[in-house]
Amino acid sequence: MALIEKNNTGLDRTNTDFLRKKKIFEMVVNRTVVYLILVLLAVITLLPLLWAIAASFTPLDKVFEYTYPFQFRALLPNDFTWEAYQNVFEAGMGNAIKNSLILAFASVFFGGLISALAGFAFGSFDFKGKNLIFAIVVITFMIPTDIIAIPSYMLVRRLGWLNSYAGLIVPSLAHGMAIFLFTQFFKGFPKELLEAARVDGASWLRIFLSIVLPNSKPVIISAALLLFVGQWASFFWPLLVAPTPEMRVVQMAVAMAQTEYRVLWNELMASSLIAAIIPILIIMPFQRYYIEGISGTGLKG
Amino acid sequence: MKIKKKNIAPYLLLLPALALLLVFRIYPMVSTIIESFYTNNLTADAREFVGLANFNRVLSDPIFWKSLKVTLVFNLINIPTQVGLALVVAVILNMRTRGISIFRSIVMLPIAVSPVVSTTLWKTMMDYNAGVINGLLALVDVSRQEFFLVKEQALWSIVIVTAWKGIPYMMIFFLAGLQEIPVAVLEAAKIDGANAWQSFFRVTLPLLKRVFAFVLVTDTILNLILFAPIWLITKGGPQLSTNLIMYETYRRGMVYGDLGASSAMLIVVILIVAIVLGLQFLALRSDDV
Repeated sequence: MALIEKNNTGLDRTNTDFLRKKKIFEMVVNRTVVYLILVLLAVITLLPLLWAIAASFTPLDKVFEYTYPFQFRALLPNDFTWEAYQNVFEAGMGNAIKNSLILAFASVFFGGLISALAGFAFGSFDFKGKNLIFAIVVITFMIPTDIIAIPSYMLVRRLGWLNSYAGLIVPSLAHGMAIFLFTQFFKGFPKELLEAARVDGASWLRIFLSIVLPNSKPVIISAALLLFVGQWASFFWPLLVAPTPEMRVVQMAVAMAQTEYRVLWNELMASSLIAAIIPILIIMPFQRYYIEGISGTGLKG
Repeated sequence: MKIKKKNIAPYLLLLPALALLLVFRIYPMVSTIIESFYTNNLTADAREFVGLANFNRVLSDPIFWKSLKVTLVFNLINIPTQVGLALVVAVILNMRTRGISIFRSIVMLPIAVSPVVSTTLWKTMMDYNAGVINGLLALVDVSRQEFFLVKEQALWSIVIVTAWKGIPYMMIFFLAGLQEIPVAVLEAAKIDGANAWQSFFRVTLPLLKRVFAFVLVTDTILNLILFAPIWLITKGGPQLSTNLIMYETYRRGMVYGDLGASSAMLIVVILIVAIVLGLQFLALRSDDV
């Protein structure tokens, strides 16, 4: 009996040993594969940006020198120069940036205010027709802006708002996602605070400004980012209603480096990067809020 | 607990938003419907009521049907691809390995980049002569691809262009949904003996149903009315191979000035979107317990 036991233990030990080693091996392979995929995703994401950065600091005739066949040197500026950026600013990029910044901040302030008020109404009050009005609001926001672009253009034209800041932002001030975000947020806002202030005789406006807003920082940041990026990225609408050089927005300035005859690749990349860097810089410190802003509508929608 | 009072306050609070909505969303929508029954030119002042004539013209126009077909084919490939890959990437980014948050930040970068810029970047990358993509293909001895220059490849090139920004955007929703799944549920499945695949298909996916529906609907709407890359790169060509329906509507209205036909087309587009969404709702609602 002792002999058999000894043999059994012997077998068991080798078996467990083998299984454990197999498990570790599998884990290592798994981990490596995962990291490889992650790196691949990162490369696919960053490649256009990295090449664009390199190209934007390269003189026009050398932009494609190392891209075909591809060498890693293509990701570095070839004969470093600022000329693309200089030309782009000379062609009016500074003015475009100014316009876009003004529009974006105006959007954030006015659009945010209007959306917050609406969200406050939906989230904190019960009133007759609330569900119906909310449903109408939701349906209206499912109408994509591109679809109503042409009649909106005619309306703006009739209002005399062509080539003006008004025409550029007023139509998009009521922002579906922002209203939704605020509504969701205010649904969870402590009503006791509001009731107490009301008992003290404060007007709703006063309550909104001095109690609600200061305690709504997260949703304000999320909504502000959504509004900013949305306005900053707008292209088709400004193209329709404000195409003159003075009113040009940053996205249009990007499209300007292409003429009928030739494309100024380095300038195109320079203006693209300028247009891209500003929202990236703004979103980066507030990444979490921006993500929550986007996904918040998706999960509770 | 809500504040219940016979109160005009909420109505006042809603007033600015509702007013803007009425003027700048509802009115143009109604205007489109009305315009579809008139002949109208952007330049001419006179317009006459023509009933359904515009719809007749549009529905008997072979270019319209071809555009519809192109849109359908494009979306049958693009939507499942984007939604599917978004889910896959979300699952990968949901893993708890070291440094994952850096990768998450990187992969989410494209959402901060505007559609104009992302389209421009990829248009440059896919340039026939010296684009980076062709340069990389040359490293593995693949010949230059014509991408946007030929009708066989142009539409699929648009798929690639929209994927770079579209997939991260949809992925965010999936990631948020995945992170809401309590670890306890997955642990329980593991204890019950489920392996990774079973756990995913029979525990995770069903819990993601709501998010999945939202992503599907959003992606569908955005892609059915896709416009910007077509306007920026191909203008509907080559040979109408990328003439997506929103671009055709724009072309008819703003380039040819035929506002009546353009409006009629828009109505048809809206109906199609509504039908597609309706079908999706039906398909997803059937197993909602």
